[in-house]
Amino acid sequence: MEGFIYGVILQWKLDLRSRTMLITCYAVPLLFFAVMGGVFSSITPESRETLIQSMTVFAVTMGTLIGLPPSLAEIYRRDVKNAYQANGVPLSLGLVLINISTFAHLLIMSAILYGIAPVLFDAKIPEHPETYFGGLLVLIAVSLSVASIIGLAVKDAANTSMFSILLFLPSVMLSGVMFPSELLPEALAVVGKFFPATWGYKLMTDSGLSLQTLCPLCIIFIIAFILCLTLLKKISTR
Amino acid sequence: MTNALEAKGLWKSYGEKVVLKGIDLCVRQGDIFALLGVNGAGKTTALECIEGLRKYEKGTISVNGKIGIQLQSAALPAHIKGEEALRLFAKWNRKTPDASMLAALGVDAIAHKQYQEMSTGQKRRLHLALALICDPDIVFLDEPTAGLDIEGRISLHKYIRDLKAHGKTIILASHDMAEVESLCNSIAILRDGKIAFAGTVIALTEKIGKHYTIQIRTDQGLETYETDDIGPSLTAMLKSCQEKNAVIQDIRVDRGSLEQHFLKIAKGE
Repeated sequence: MEGFIYGVILQWKLDLRSRTMLITCYAVPLLFFAVMGGVFSSITPESRETLIQSMTVFAVTMGTLIGLPPSLAEIYRRDVKNAYQANGVPLSLGLVLINISTFAHLLIMSAILYGIAPVLFDAKIPEHPETYFGGLLVLIAVSLSVASIIGLAVKDAANTSMFSILLFLPSVMLSGVMFPSELLPEALAVVGKFFPATWGYKLMTDSGLSLQTLCPLCIIFIIAFILCLTLLKKISTR
Repeated sequence: MTNALEAKGLWKSYGEKVVLKGIDLCVRQGDIFALLGVNGAGKTTALECIEGLRKYEKGTISVNGKIGIQLQSAALPAHIKGEEALRLFAKWNRKTPDASMLAALGVDAIAHKQYQEMSTGQKRRLHLALALICDPDIVFLDEPTAGLDIEGRISLHKYIRDLKAHGKTIILASHDMAEVESLCNSIAILRDGKIAFAGTVIALTEKIGKHYTIQIRTDQGLETYETDDIGPSLTAMLKSCQEKNAVIQDIRVDRGSLEQHFLKIAKGE
């Protein structure tokens, strides 16, 4: 247990030293919030009702899909993996530690947005904070599980970035964060339903945690979890 | 003396290509053993199977004691510091890093350096320290001195001898025959997935034959002789010089290096 706790603390420190994690979990979401928050709230004042939720979904999607895979790919690169395996450290440890650390970074970022959006843009505090935070926790967990698949399946940095962006862009564009999903063509609205961001955003803006919204997220999580286990097994078997 | 490790009938293939064709290996406790072979002979595969890092199809491996592994192709996350890596691996193995070991390997100097800022030699020393952190009985070292400067090489050799003096068994993979010759008391040579030779360095020399090259420089020039029988040949050559009234300036006798013997066995010459 001591080794595990030290591992979590160490991973947290490594994330802070890594520019990728700082940029994707903090810098870009804050910049996006500063620009888009101003644009949204001045063009359509009613967007203030869901500004916290939409900016949070953007931050979580960015931090997980763009931030997590490169760190994970670094740990599971053959030579790093070799060092872990050779010294008796279980291979799953890297995956668990990075997920815990990123989870914590994203919670902090979400808390920052929750705190400053009402002050800067007169954004409305969610009517049901418990639903908002419950939805946030679920969204982070599911997004991390999907991002972990990219980090474990793709070996090189260039491909990791490509797959990350391929998932990130539709997640943001089709989830209702940028504009209401009701305005999307039907086909795109259907495609949007495959992304955790869509359901996470819905969950965080709903008045309560509905099973109908939770179910797709659970299904995505279970599929991603099984895929991660399979990939981990494949990585450890040579 | 008991065996530190024993492998019998080890068989491993990658698809159609058979890399290990039922090899047998035996390393005695307290030995410094080297597994040799030309590139592609299957050394790394054999070691990785024994280390438990790679699966094999047939055969048995018995390892008598805790193992520590320093791999040639190993790395750590770019931003981790030396001290943090040591602490992480030590905590995970429920051990406290041995301060004298860290000092002997010169790891103290890189405690606060990030992995990405370390030189090849510093990284190699850190990986060796990580391999030793669990106080293993058997230490696997894959090309331990590759990338080290002369000073680092000498201090590492001294440390490897110290480990042997403390009863540790060292299993070495190296391309540096001078290193093998000076450190190891037992070797095995892999050729085409089979053990072509297993025994001591002296036994290898005996097997190949004592081939000597004698060079005599006199005031009349340089003469080179090749012989398997040093005594009578040298006497005859000196006598010949005396008969020619040649003044001997220098004599050099080369008994053939492990490298030459290794190539004969490894390439089946």
